Amino acid sequence: MIEMIAALQPLVVGAVLLWSARVKLLSRHAAAVAGRSALVNLLGERRALPAYRLVGGVELTLGGLLVLPPALRAEAAAAAVLAAGFLAYLGYARRAAPTSSCGCLSARAAPVSRRGIARAGLLLAASGLAALAAGGWLAALTARPFAGTAVVLVELAAIVALSPELDRAWLLPLRQLRMRLTHPLRGNSGVPLLATVQQLQLSDAYRRVAPLLRSDVREHWDDGDWRFVGHAARYQGRAATAVFAVPLADPEPAAVRVAVVDDTTGHTLLSLAGTPPAAGPHLAVSPA
Amino acid sequence: MNQTLDRRRLLATAALGGVVGATALGSLAPEAAFAAEATAVEPGMPDPNFAEGRISKISGNMLLVTGSDTVLHSIRITGGTSIWKLQPTTFDQVAVGDGLYARGVRLPDGTLAADAVWVNIVNLHAHIASVGRNVLHLDHKGQHIVGHVVPRLSAAVYNGTPAVSDLSLLRVGRHVQVLGAWHPDTNEIDIATVYAAA
Repeated sequence: MIEMIAALQPLVVGAVLLWSARVKLLSRHAAAVAGRSALVNLLGERRALPAYRLVGGVELTLGGLLVLPPALRAEAAAAAVLAAGFLAYLGYARRAAPTSSCGCLSARAAPVSRRGIARAGLLLAASGLAALAAGGWLAALTARPFAGTAVVLVELAAIVALSPELDRAWLLPLRQLRMRLTHPLRGNSGVPLLATVQQLQLSDAYRRVAPLLRSDVREHWDDGDWRFVGHAARYQGRAATAVFAVPLADPEPAAVRVAVVDDTTGHTLLSLAGTPPAAGPHLAVSPA
Repeated sequence: MNQTLDRRRLLATAALGGVVGATALGSLAPEAAFAAEATAVEPGMPDPNFAEGRISKISGNMLLVTGSDTVLHSIRITGGTSIWKLQPTTFDQVAVGDGLYARGVRLPDGTLAADAVWVNIVNLHAHIASVGRNVLHLDHKGQHIVGHVVPRLSAAVYNGTPAVSDLSLLRVGRHVQVLGAWHPDTNEIDIATVYAAA
């Protein structure tokens, strides 16, 4: 069994390297990816892209050699050295440039994460195992087609699962599906305070007294069909409270009323009722 | 408690009272009342009437705040100060270690008499990475942030339309802007408002 698994490793490692080389050599965004990676810190802005392409070239060569016969132990050893290099690079990137992007298996920006490091570790282990293999992967696969295919698929699935940059392809759709089935955010109702504040800020009453207001919303309470919102205000040097009355059922800004009440005497200094909509032709504007 | 109720009844009666446009002081135009009160801020200088930082000490109604540029601010909470901490709240909810933004009037002794204080407020752009029961897991530039949906307080604004309580139109993978209250020294926030496309 272990013989067979070892013999299949060149195929797995080779496939991953070829995929990785494709991003580095063929992607139109390679320059941007290199610019976001820790290569900039390591080698400087000017040399990041050539180095990125060079790594791609090495991956292409080594991946091709691994996948194509003959199976040589030297290829596996070279892959192990490359994987160890990846591991060291990711460790460096995480320490020296934590905001940099991995630039590994996709042009999508993905920070260097524990998953990415685990993936490099898996690649290193697979390359090490490949060095133990005696025969080629094609012979091993034809000898035990079902078990062999299963091993390769499981390993590739593990590589994909350890690649944050590929989440968009499989993990997000799964989570979307789960959300569609379980509705975890359902069940919140009522008029949020923000809706009331938005409504009153559009009102004529607010426009008239806004220059008097000193504070943000200080208090709010519901009473019957009305929600009251209080702001601290100053009116001709007196400390006052501007209290807005906003109907809970009517979203029209024109329905908002306001009073400015003196804090010490309790006298109403100013009171404005909602203005009825202007007569004449009316242009209805609905938000996009 | 009774005092609060009486006060609220007074305010409610004033707001709903029928006398339109009447004022005890004669002038109907508020513009006249504030015309002389403009404060000048020198161009290029930091706004003297603003402060931000983490609260290092609370004594009486004074907050000692260390700014992110290590400048120390003393902030006085007055009877007219509004305090936001996920919702409009009271001074006793403010704790040492909280972050804040404050706006007010700089007094001659250097303290800031606060008109409004926003405690632990955060405003971030993120992607929804996954959704649990009343939890949004957000990806903010590769950093994981846990956003708690607070029933009856959290609101959503879809496509710029008026805010609603229903957050169920949010989708995994979409971009959102989140206003919320940070839990100090964690990667967790309580969500006040989510702005999203739907």
